[in-house]
Amino acid sequence: MDWLTKLMSLDRRYIFLFVAIGTALPILFPIGFKVSITPPVRNIYDKVESLGPEDVVMFSFDYGPSTSPENDPMADATLRHCLSRGIKVIVIALYPVGGVTMADQSLSRVLADFPQVRRGIDYVHLGYKSGSQATMKQMGESMAAVFPTDRYGTPLEEIPLMKRVRNYDDMRLVVSFATGIIGEWWANLINAQFHVPIAVGCTAVSAPKYYAYLNSGQMIGLLGGLKGASEYEKLLIDHYPDARATYDRAGLYTAIKGMDAQTVIHTVILVFIILGNVAFLAGRGKR
Amino acid sequence: MELLGVWVASFLTLCIFSFLYKDNPFFRFAESLFAGVSLGYYIGQEANQTIRPNLVEPLASDFAGNWDLLIPLLIGVNLYTRYVPKTNWWARWSLAIYVGYYVGVNMVQKLHGEVLPQMQSTIVPFSLAGGWLGLVNSAILFVGVLTVLVYFFFSLEHKGIVGGASRIGVWFLMLGFGAAFGYTVMGRVSLLIGRLNYLIIRWIMGTIQSLG
Repeated sequence: MDWLTKLMSLDRRYIFLFVAIGTALPILFPIGFKVSITPPVRNIYDKVESLGPEDVVMFSFDYGPSTSPENDPMADATLRHCLSRGIKVIVIALYPVGGVTMADQSLSRVLADFPQVRRGIDYVHLGYKSGSQATMKQMGESMAAVFPTDRYGTPLEEIPLMKRVRNYDDMRLVVSFATGIIGEWWANLINAQFHVPIAVGCTAVSAPKYYAYLNSGQMIGLLGGLKGASEYEKLLIDHYPDARATYDRAGLYTAIKGMDAQTVIHTVILVFIILGNVAFLAGRGKR
Repeated sequence: MELLGVWVASFLTLCIFSFLYKDNPFFRFAESLFAGVSLGYYIGQEANQTIRPNLVEPLASDFAGNWDLLIPLLIGVNLYTRYVPKTNWWARWSLAIYVGYYVGVNMVQKLHGEVLPQMQSTIVPFSLAGGWLGLVNSAILFVGVLTVLVYFFFSLEHKGIVGGASRIGVWFLMLGFGAAFGYTVMGRVSLLIGRLNYLIIRWIMGTIQSLG
């Protein structure tokens, strides 16, 4: 039992090393664990499936680079789904430190697979706007008052898609990819006052509190962290052959691949928790 | 050029990771650089994407039609009078407007968007309409909400029935914290996966490919 005593004084940097190895190996050698679909993710997918080319969906990029490994895959997957169905897309960003850059990068990654999609007609990128709740409320009255121009400086009245989008009434769904409280505001401010359906793709850290909004019907669905994103990717792969080709592409970071590493690391953490407790109890018995 | 960017990003990632071994100058350099770049980015975005299109351009192109924008401009500029000792009290007027607006928004938001819908979703019928599982869920929700509320009720001493209910409330709270902690671990691990994926795929493999 001497090794158990030694375990109690193990340098925590060894644990970091095990976690690093546990992360690196599945990235180098993907395992392909099964992804199961949960109702909150299925609801968003079904909602998008019910829409068509005449409908408008707005994507709000409310996160920055600090959580992009979690939010990027869900943003890419839902954007890809909408464009595959010909749904018109409005992109905005409300997160000050990096939101608009995340939107730029997501659009750039996804649009590469949709050469037929035209800016201003099939999608519009309105860029970032500060003002938080005031901005969000104002969009309920007039999008043009908040965004006089798009990201590239084109006046809104010259953009064909924006001629038929005045405010939230003209949108069938708003999807927020959020790292902080902005995602909550979509549910408890915008849904409550303007009744537009809201879906949120949040980081895992903030997922538990969103379940309250989901349970109360203030959100139609939830993509909780990397797991939620992997489920959406799985739904796309199963139903859209083009998506399968995209997600099979070598070198592409996807949530499904990320979940392999998640599973391995969680196993490593569980083993250390069990060993730590066994060592603690054994040491207490000796004392 | 892209590869150079990947190398810079990878170097900075390793600088931050080096803190796991111990604090060092590389970590502090990367940390300070991040803080500085973030601030510069923030100022640039605010100036280019909000102040210019929503204030400067409308005033420059049609001053007569947009003169009312001078009011928020003055309110905003007035905030900076706090740096002048003789006039620093002026800034309170701007702050009062700012605070007043957001207090109003938040009051409605909290009541209309949180308290009422959450209360409504907690009041669930005890019926078999949703099957036995639905009935069990409703019972758990009822007991959970009630006992957690009792735990936070400090006007009575936590003894007897109140004490028992309070202890059950603690169990519900612990389950909630456990779920939140599990999600937190998952979130942090996701970020690690993202960075290691970048280092392995974009940096190491990307460099090997470009050399070969």
